[in-house]
Amino acid sequence: MSLQIGRKFNEADQLWEVILKGEVDISNAAQLKSELQAMLKEKMASVTMDIKDLSYIDSTGLGVIIGTYKRMEERGVSMKMKNPVKNVEKLLKITNLDRIFL
Amino acid sequence: MADVLKFCIPGKPEYVSTVRMLISSLANVAGFDVEAIEDMKVAVSEACTNVVCHGVTDARTYEVSCEINDDRICIIVKDQGEGCDMEQYRHPDLNCPKEGGLGLFIIRTLMDEVDISSELGKGTRIQMVKYYRK
Repeated sequence: MSLQIGRKFNEADQLWEVILKGEVDISNAAQLKSELQAMLKEKMASVTMDIKDLSYIDSTGLGVIIGTYKRMEERGVSMKMKNPVKNVEKLLKITNLDRIFL
Repeated sequence: MADVLKFCIPGKPEYVSTVRMLISSLANVAGFDVEAIEDMKVAVSEACTNVVCHGVTDARTYEVSCEINDDRICIIVKDQGEGCDMEQYRHPDLNCPKEGGLGLFIIRTLMDEVDISSELGKGTRIQMVKYYRK
């Protein structure tokens, strides 16, 4: 199982465009956390995550997203996700996180 | 007569995805629909994550057993780790999301029946049942 994280800064809109591919679980949630931290250290800005190729995320992955979002919120920037697959969307809905991220 | 399958898993994060694939394959063979299979994958994965985070150390193993009946599948994730005091468990406040504490909530939401028992110093047992959709 692997996780691929792509990112690009959109100068025109002043936001990070992130692409997550693969699966996030306890084995690689720390990788996601350090990548997001490094990105926001480089430039604190809002983030849009395209998760159409994210086939699975568990509670540790969601925890990383929530923790990152909270630190971003304190700095006045936001995080959104788009194109979730059905099972990821269901998880976001049952945890009410869809109201924040979708 | 139920079919019973038992797996012994090392308490390492990298094997949680292996359990996920096992459950997915098993639930598929048992004839569950795609949504039910996804629910089971997520729930069992969360139970295993709970074991790896709070239950057993790398060097020890935990057990995942699956009982396939005519009307349901019953999956039990059992460890002999530290255990915890379930009285201390608090339902997460979904209006104020936190970094941790979603695992058991997700399990309870996705499975039809869930029974969690834990004893300090003896370990934790999470039993999850999914019924076939009529």
